[in-house]
Amino acid sequence: MLNDNITYGCCTKHVENGDGDKLILHWVDSDLSRTSYTYSYFERESNRVAQVLRALGINPGDTVSIFIPRSPMLISCFFGILKLQAISSILFGTLGEEGLLDRLSNSNARVVITRKSLLRKIVSIKEKLPALEHILVIDIDDDQNDVVLSMKHMLANAEPFFDYPHHVAPETPAFLQYTSGSTGKPKGALHVHGALPDMQNSFKEIMQLEADDLYWCTADPAWITGLVYGIIAPFSTAARQLQYNGTYNADNWLRILGEDRVTVWYTAPTALRMLMQEDAEKFEQHDFSSLKRMYSVGEPLNPEIYFWGKKVFGVEIYDNWWQSETGSMMIANRPPMTVKPGSMGKPRSGVEPLICSEEMETLPPGKQGLLCLRKGWGSMFRNYFRNDAAYADKFHRDIYTTGDLAYYDEDGYYWYVSRADDVINTAGHLVGPFEVESALLEIPEIVDVAVIGADDPLIHKRIIAFIKLGNNVEWTKELELKCRIYVSNKVSTTAIPAEFHLIERVPKNQSGKILRRVLKALYEGKDPGDLSTME
Amino acid sequence: MELKERLTSVFHTVFDNDAIELTPELTADDVDEWDSLSHINLMIAIELEFGIEFSQNEIQNFANVGELMASINEKLAAK
Repeated sequence: MLNDNITYGCCTKHVENGDGDKLILHWVDSDLSRTSYTYSYFERESNRVAQVLRALGINPGDTVSIFIPRSPMLISCFFGILKLQAISSILFGTLGEEGLLDRLSNSNARVVITRKSLLRKIVSIKEKLPALEHILVIDIDDDQNDVVLSMKHMLANAEPFFDYPHHVAPETPAFLQYTSGSTGKPKGALHVHGALPDMQNSFKEIMQLEADDLYWCTADPAWITGLVYGIIAPFSTAARQLQYNGTYNADNWLRILGEDRVTVWYTAPTALRMLMQEDAEKFEQHDFSSLKRMYSVGEPLNPEIYFWGKKVFGVEIYDNWWQSETGSMMIANRPPMTVKPGSMGKPRSGVEPLICSEEMETLPPGKQGLLCLRKGWGSMFRNYFRNDAAYADKFHRDIYTTGDLAYYDEDGYYWYVSRADDVINTAGHLVGPFEVESALLEIPEIVDVAVIGADDPLIHKRIIAFIKLGNNVEWTKELELKCRIYVSNKVSTTAIPAEFHLIERVPKNQSGKILRRVLKALYEGKDPGDLSTME
Repeated sequence: MELKERLTSVFHTVFDNDAIELTPELTADDVDEWDSLSHINLMIAIELEFGIEFSQNEIQNFANVGELMASINEKLAAK
């Protein structure tokens, strides 16, 4: 039994059905200029991308990384890669050198698509990437050498036609989504073409868009939400959508919501908390009467922000929960459910969550435990790319352990408690303490370091670094800046510690594992508990 | 060294990118590495370079490099 190639479902099928001229994407630039795009546009441009990649010898199963900011070009590249049955890996433009190296190295990317301003980051690590054959730059006119090529030139000379198999085996790899763990390097959750129906069905069941709706998902496509619910689900279900090409900007966001008459808005708690800090008059200048409902994902939507948002925008806010690994929304509030503020809602169709003890016994309502999912939903990740052991670690027989702690109540609503591991959820980004610690340890003045997450009213968790300085090293504002810049440029801007604390000794157990709970207790002024295992 | 040169050097260090060319119209949307988090690094680096301090309000509301340079000039003149 074959499945639609994701690009066929998102693009080609609609052109074949006579909807080529349908305006599928309303693009708003950071200067608020607007451009609309049709299915035919993306079909044509993704054909050109596929032609270019095929000419470079890209085959099914090869990885092509996309390292450009959100743009119609990014969408065309994603569709083009999938037409070849190659594997797409979209990466955040804010990734530092080490973060980029980890991902490109693990994915064995043969080609990276980038732009001039990001090129130096890839060139600086190229020697450590033996699989990388070509760097395609979208905004240079001429090839720089045999490796760095002008994609602009290649696209201009490529035919806008491309024949490809519209139907593929469901288990055909489609894309990688990198996510951080509490230890080790970032892992690439592998998703397949067979996930498409689940992504579409979850979108229909939860978003419930009608033909005249205008949907806006604010997530970056390098984030699973931006890819699945900003590209795959809306394109494949022919949802009218808007996207904004810019970072958070309260004035622009509010103008877009009002002037473009957005009806369904999918955003994140951190964005809402940032909006909440704006002057109240700012909201009164805009007309949000077209808005029907809002959705939120990434971190728990705490009741304070829920009630604020509901009052200011005048609509219901539906929180939901899922992960890079799940491939689609798992637990969600949606109409006509009554929202319990602070709850992530109830499982959607086909999803069976379980709350388990550490011994993997299922727990009754009201008992906090590991949030798990029974295997079987279509969009589940199929592996961590080239890391079978890490994948196996996530399963107990047919039960996937999500790494989150939660409980459910007598009415079947699920409530998020915290991460079960050391991963830090900061503004919706998962940051592994190991990545930050590794970067800081490269700074000569630092001899040991431990990183934890602490509660933050704006970004859910902020990163706290405890550092032990070398002998005769003094902590100065300059050294703090050096640490901040190093982490930003090595790992990612999202990994920058918000606070640095000096410590005499990093608490570790006898096998050398950092005792983060001790540091958390120290930070929060609480009892650190049993210290018998400390070295 | 002129203010623009010194500020350019700060930008290159903070964003690890020697290709950045400062113009008054330059904004965070024009620099890949410039987001709300690295913006804090930039502000700290400017404060240290010029021996000045920005208020929280100023940090959040610089619309572009032109406004940033005007503010630095003003603070240096008042020193």
